[in-house]
Amino acid sequence: MSSTVAATRVPVLAIRQVSKRFGPVEALVDVDLVVHPHEVVALVGDNGAGKSTLAKVVSGVMAPDSGVIELDGEPVAIASPSDAHQAGIATVFQDYALCENLDVTANLFLGRELRERSLMRDGEMERVARGILRVLTSRIPSVRTPIAHLTAGQRQTVAIARTLIGSPRLVILDEPTAALSVAHTAEVLNHIERLRELGLGVVLISHNLNDVRAVSDRIEVLRHGRNNGSFDTRNVSQEELLAAITGATQVPEPRPSDVGR
Amino acid sequence: MTGSQSSLRGANRALVVETVKRYGGLTQVELTAATGLSPATVSSIVKELLAAGVVDTRGTIRSGRRAQLVTIARSTGLAAGVDVGPRHLRVALADVTREIVAEQSLPLPAEHRADTTLDRATLLVVDLLERVGATLDDLVGLGVGLPAPVEPGTGLVTVRGVLRGWDETPVVHVLAKRLAKPVLVDNEANLGALAESRFGAARGYQDVVYVSVGAGTGAGIVLSGHLHRGFGGTAGEIGHVQVDPQGRICRCGSRGCLDTVVGYPALVEPLVVSHGTLTLRDVVQRAADGDPGCRQVVADAGAVIGGVVAGMAMVVNPQCVVVGGELAATGEVLVQPMREAIARRVPLNQIVALDVVPGELGVRASVLGALAMVLEATDQAAATGSADMADPSDVAGGDAG
Repeated sequence: MSSTVAATRVPVLAIRQVSKRFGPVEALVDVDLVVHPHEVVALVGDNGAGKSTLAKVVSGVMAPDSGVIELDGEPVAIASPSDAHQAGIATVFQDYALCENLDVTANLFLGRELRERSLMRDGEMERVARGILRVLTSRIPSVRTPIAHLTAGQRQTVAIARTLIGSPRLVILDEPTAALSVAHTAEVLNHIERLRELGLGVVLISHNLNDVRAVSDRIEVLRHGRNNGSFDTRNVSQEELLAAITGATQVPEPRPSDVGR
Repeated sequence: MTGSQSSLRGANRALVVETVKRYGGLTQVELTAATGLSPATVSSIVKELLAAGVVDTRGTIRSGRRAQLVTIARSTGLAAGVDVGPRHLRVALADVTREIVAEQSLPLPAEHRADTTLDRATLLVVDLLERVGATLDDLVGLGVGLPAPVEPGTGLVTVRGVLRGWDETPVVHVLAKRLAKPVLVDNEANLGALAESRFGAARGYQDVVYVSVGAGTGAGIVLSGHLHRGFGGTAGEIGHVQVDPQGRICRCGSRGCLDTVVGYPALVEPLVVSHGTLTLRDVVQRAADGDPGCRQVVADAGAVIGGVVAGMAMVVNPQCVVVGGELAATGEVLVQPMREAIARRVPLNQIVALDVVPGELGVRASVLGALAMVLEATDQAAATGSADMADPSDVAGGDAG
């Protein structure tokens, strides 16, 4: 592991001045976001602050109206989810997007099954699946269990494990601990720490400031589609975060030369 | 032929037991998948283990069908241990034979507050009980370790400010009210000392100093096999020994405490220019992987802490010093400079030299100590009540609780 100097590190993801509107709704307005390898950046904000829209823009589900997305310092166009996957961006959405009737292995490899000529390499896929679940120190006993038989926490584990298929550089997790019991939340937070230790950049979208402050390195606040503060997790208090989320503190408008309204 | 078959069978049996322990409770179908053994093998091994009293089975429902849940057999009740650290919560369940049946850790935010953390601890205990197919009725008691000196009776932190957000919280009452079970609270380093002296690196020693090095530094003292807490519960609070008279003001209010020199911020700060922002986990992992800068930081911390422990060793004269806590995962990187600093300052004993050794229980020492505290207290209660509990010989440590 090479020890890189912070100032010269190239971010795995840099979003610059990204905007997205739906008619009169300004979902994102000139939003900036930077994520380095081996870093967990939390994205917090009220309902409708633009967190999920930003996740969708980065994962190729939606195209931004304007702005630049850079991966490893190079500007890229992410026109579709498969572009995002090619670029090493893996996203876990709130609904997990898993197939109930398929088993754990089939879900992990859904749409990117390992094949030899036209035959699926089931044994190899199970081996990889077991390996990934072990890396995450998950508590799913069998990779052949259908998703329908798993608990909510185990489903979240499968969804996170799926991001590790291929070789991702950036993992985006949209509300991974919402609606989970404390024991399952604990497992997901441990998984996030593992992703970070594997050297990935992680974007964690969450409402739960406890979870966010437990595992993130940096916290970015969105409010009404705009950046409203960037905080080093080690030095920020719960009160400061709440103030930024609710708008009690505001980031001053930066560029007077800016066009558009 | 038969020899190798029976040893294979033994290995399979061990695999089944280990797998059941790892998951808490599994159906036979899940056990087959998790071990990779055939259903027939699993079925016959489970039968055998059931007859030998190693596992228990009970009916459960999986995917709408009746199934047999296999759990580790436990004798009369479970104890829960909770280790509250500066950045983590660790909860474990054990039965009266000290066998851990379920375990879970949860990362916590810096400066987490008592109300939220105790709420999560309670829910985790309940979740873990459910995982092994037990209920609150099976719980005999709860042991809690806090990273601060505490008053055993109430669980109040005895020194204001050292654990922000926890002052004025009577942990014993808060938890006893929610769980309706006996609750014992002690300092995290004291519990680590108890665990290492009962079943860790200090087994068989009478006088032991245990040093826990992590986000902060603390120590636990075992004298003649008994935990020494001191009159106010602050014995061994070496994190607040002054090492730099010109140093920074500590959260306890005094100047230049050991914690201001080797605590979390002091450990990661010197690395910012060369390594960027690291967490304590990063520093530990990189030091263990051989990163020179991180090794330097850990080794220097070891030397400073060693100097303070040397003073302690002069007063207490222990047979051994056990080094535990998060930083101890770096092994000799931390322990060697401590050993040197102690050896330089403590007069050599011609008869038996003072051992300075890494702990054997790792970051689980405190939670294991919390379990030991509860189980020893229930043993004691059982020994004085009815005489049907085995093992009253190793009753100790619960004197102040």
